[in-house]
This record gives sequence, structure tokens and C-alpha cells, in this order.
Amino acid sequence: MTQAPSRERDYRRLSPLTPLVRSFIFLVAVVGSSWQSALHGELGPIGWLLLALALFGLVYGGASWLRTKYWIEADELRVDTGVVGKQSRRIRIDRLQGIDIVQPFVARLFGLAELRMDVAGSGREGSLSFLKLSEAQQLKELLLARRDAVRAGTVQPEQAAATDRPEAPERLLTRVSPGLLAASIALSSETVLSLLGAALLLSVAVWADSLAAVGGLFPVLLGAGLVAFRRFSGAYGFTVTEGPAGLQVRRGLFDLDAQTIALARLQGVTITEPLLWRRLGWARLDVSLAGGGRGDDRHGPASSTVLPVGQRALAGWLAAHLLGEPLPADSALRRPPARARWLAPVGQRFMAVGADDAVIVAREGWLTRRTHLVPHARVQSLRLSQGPVQRWLRLADLHVDSPPGPVRVRGRHRDAAEARAMLERERQSARQARSQLSGS
Amino acid sequence: MDVVFAPPGNQWRPVSSALARMRRTLLAGSVLLLAVAAVVVVLALDMPLWVLAALLVALLAGGAAGWVVIGRNAGYWGYAERDEDLYIKHGAVYRRLVAVPYGRMQYVDVTAGPLEQAYGIATVHLHTASPHTSARIPGLPRDEAARLRDRLTSLGEAQAAGL
Repeated sequence: MTQAPSRERDYRRLSPLTPLVRSFIFLVAVVGSSWQSALHGELGPIGWLLLALALFGLVYGGASWLRTKYWIEADELRVDTGVVGKQSRRIRIDRLQGIDIVQPFVARLFGLAELRMDVAGSGREGSLSFLKLSEAQQLKELLLARRDAVRAGTVQPEQAAATDRPEAPERLLTRVSPGLLAASIALSSETVLSLLGAALLLSVAVWADSLAAVGGLFPVLLGAGLVAFRRFSGAYGFTVTEGPAGLQVRRGLFDLDAQTIALARLQGVTITEPLLWRRLGWARLDVSLAGGGRGDDRHGPASSTVLPVGQRALAGWLAAHLLGEPLPADSALRRPPARARWLAPVGQRFMAVGADDAVIVAREGWLTRRTHLVPHARVQSLRLSQGPVQRWLRLADLHVDSPPGPVRVRGRHRDAAEARAMLERERQSARQARSQLSGS
Repeated sequence: MDVVFAPPGNQWRPVSSALARMRRTLLAGSVLLLAVAAVVVVLALDMPLWVLAALLVALLAGGAAGWVVIGRNAGYWGYAERDEDLYIKHGAVYRRLVAVPYGRMQYVDVTAGPLEQAYGIATVHLHTASPHTSARIPGLPRDEAARLRDRLTSLGEAQAAGL
């Protein structure tokens, strides 16, 4: 409570190390580009330029730090920034969807962290960078406690403090071992494809008896290696725990990322099983969240990944745990009619759709098998589509629309009359589930 | 009408015939423009006249085919307002049907471009949280579009469900 800014205008600042972290990359570049001449007490022109940039960055960052203040006022988190102009951001605490703590590598060296906030309805995030890690955690707790208090409407927001929140212990759900992670990346389609590409190049080189083609191997392998390493470092130490705020996902080798997934935002889950993983019984679990996940797929797994790799049974258990319902039995899944083979000669065998009391489920994919599950209560709209060949074969596609994300339930090439019946049935189930949801 | 795209209740409500008229006007306009272009090009390049004749016949045939397709397509647009859902179907060759619960509606757009305005029609577009929801009804008479928008908005508010 002593740390909590409880009075108005009792503003706080970011960590004074912020400018240093921000221009750290330039300082490293200065040293890196001209460490040799720096040893002799002089800098090359590039070194001087970078040094000037770094100094400018430090000064600007310092000014920015001086001008950046944040405080909590009533039910808003307010952030004032701006060196030249002045910007004032207000983030409504009751609109906060999720708060994540992210630690880029450099910030981690200094024990700092960035607080990222998902705000409903605005479509963009608020961010505070950088804070001391402990401060970031406290602020996160405080904001979540206030949000709950404001939403419940029982407590005046001013009275809610972090200490009001019972510190429920976090339950460890699963942790991915580095060995399993490395093996799963080695057996992923991307790795296999790039190795195949490399083998192709190599055989061309041998056949043409020229070493020039071998040179083409290096960029291919280097690129694939980098991608694989990024995936590894992004998902390293992947830990899923369950706390009062929802699911906690922590990951990262250099950049640490902690994300809270509020289960109330869950729109559906996808279990992915690439070809080579299936033999080993491995699967991956992704979730789709309302309000849009952070689609930063470039840095390791997308934030909507709940399990980068694990036993199929574990992925299934986790999916059932998230949905709050046991998964429908495989017998609930039905394949499209045999005549669908005219349109999907191979795929027809792997397509299946079904529904139970709680969810609608669809599976497809020959090389990479994906099982999508959406609770009836989260269905947005339902669609049928039918092309000319499908009409001739009396087939139709059924689509279940979900918010943007990995989850996509669809039944391709179903018997046309069955597809329409499924649409009507799903419409009824969704209606009932929605009314139960708003009733409770 | 087959059972797959049968109306959910009694009848599909059709869109205004002005939609086909507007599209046919557009088609006629573009055929005319292309014909003029063909004449200019053939005369300017001093090509034989049978080339011009062939081009014009091809244009006319294309225009006639478009004329028929437009009429057929317009006839396939239909919508039905149920107690809790809006149904829309369209497409003669590629058939589509969508059912949107009012409670899932995020907002409704009514748009009318200059040409649509000249024909007194408008397009109503329903948005949900999913970008895949393609709930669009073109060629509604202006009053009907306004009525539908108001009805959808009030029903959407009354039945709104949380994400």
C-alpha cells in the first residue's frame, strides 16, 4: 500500500534508467563499430555519428523521462508524455482487458520491465516503459484490483488497493522442457522444408558438378537456423500457471514475456498437430482472444499460444480446462460424405465436424492436422457457401465465424441438406448458450 | 428453390429492382465506352473494318451476357428478419447464406454512393466481431434501408451479448 499512488496528482515517474536502456543499442553499436580505433583513443566517422546519435538519444530520452508522469485518478490511469508537445493519455481501468509484463533483453540487464495494457474498444494498447520489475508487478496488481472493484461497483475505486486482492497462490499447469522444445522445432514443417530445400540445392550442385550452387546453401540454412533459434528463444522456459486473474504464460530466453490471459476473453482454441509430431504424439495449443491478441509472430510464438509443444493428452486436457468443459468425444465428429472426394481427394479423409452441448468442433488437414473448438456461446455468425461443382454434387461448406485469431471452425464439403440443418442447430445452441451466459 | 438455401421462415424479401437497373446502366455505359474506344483505335491504326465489326460483335455479346447475369444475380439476393437473427442469401453461381444473431452485431453501416443515390437505393452492412461475417445487403430502397438500420440497431441493443 505504501507503494500505491492513492491520492490524486501523486504522480510517479518511469525508471530513470529508461533513456539508458533506449539508447543502449547505439552505445553498443559505437563500441562494436570502432572498438579497435577506440583502443587508440580515436573514433572513426561512423563511430562519431553513432556516438552523436547515442548522446542525442540520451538527452532526448532524459527530457522525455522528465516529462513523463503517470498516476491513477479515479477510474483512469493517466500518462502524460511529450518533449515538444504534450500528450495526455487516459486509460480507463474498467476497460483493461489484460496487462502483460514484457522484459526486452537490455531492460532485463537493468532489472527493468515494460507494462503493456490491452484496452477494450480502443483497438490499441497502452504501454509504460520502463519500470522497475517489482514496480511493474505492483502496478499490475493494483490496476487489476481496481478494475475488479470498479466493475463490481461495490467499492469506491479510490479505496481499492492491491492488498484487497487475496493473494491466491498460482497453480502450475505445465512447463515445457528445453529439450522437448528444441526437438519440436527440429521436427517442425519449416525445418523439414528448409532441409529438403537444402538437399535439393545440394543434389543440383552435385549433378551439375559446380560448387557455385553450394554457395546458395548458406543463406537458406542460415535463415532457417535463425528462424528456428528465434522460435526456441521466444518459447524457452515456457511456463503456464493459473492465478486469480486468469492464465499466466511466461516465456523467453533473452526477452522475457509474461502474459495474462483472462478466460472470459476466450473465443476458442486450436490444437495443431504437424505430420512429424503426430508420430510422437505431440501437439500445440493456441487460443483466440476477444480484443485481438498481440500478433507479434516474429518474436517466437504468437502471444495466443498456450502450449508450444506437449503430449496430445496434455494439450487436450489444457484445452478442456480452458473451455471449462470436457472435449467432445471423437465419435461426435462426422466426416463429409464419400462423394466429397471429387473435390478433396485426400483431404476428405481428414475432415470432420461435430458438436456437443458446449462446443462446436471441426478438424481438418492432411499434413498439419488442426482441431478447432469454439464454445456455442462465442459463435459470431454462421455461413453456408456452395460453388457450382458443390451444387452438382449436393455439397456445401459450413463456416462458423469467430473474431480474428487462429481459430476457424468450418465444415467443408458437407452434404448440403446436412450443412443447412447443422447451421440451424448451431444457431439454436448458440442462442441458448448466449442467454445462459447473460443470465448467470 | 432447394432446401439448402430455403428461407428460414416464410419468404425471402427481395432487394429493389433498381439494383439491377443501376448495374445494367453501368454495364451499358462501359460497353458504350469500349465501343467508342474500339472505333477510335481501329480508325487511328487504319486497321481493316472487319476487325472493328468483330470487336463490336464481341462487345455486344459480352454486354448481353452481362445483362442476363445481372438480372439473374439480383434475383438471388434475399434477406429475412427473424426474431433473433438476420438471414441473408445471394449468388446465382456461388451461393452464399449467412445468419447473424442480432445480439452479435457490433454496428450497422448504411452507404449509398452517387450512382446508388441517383437510383434511390442504399447498402446495409452488418458488422460483428468477426471479419469473416459478410452480412451485406445492397440495393435496398432508401426508406427500407433506414428502417432496417433502426430495427437492427434497437434489436442489437436489446439482445446484445458480451463477447
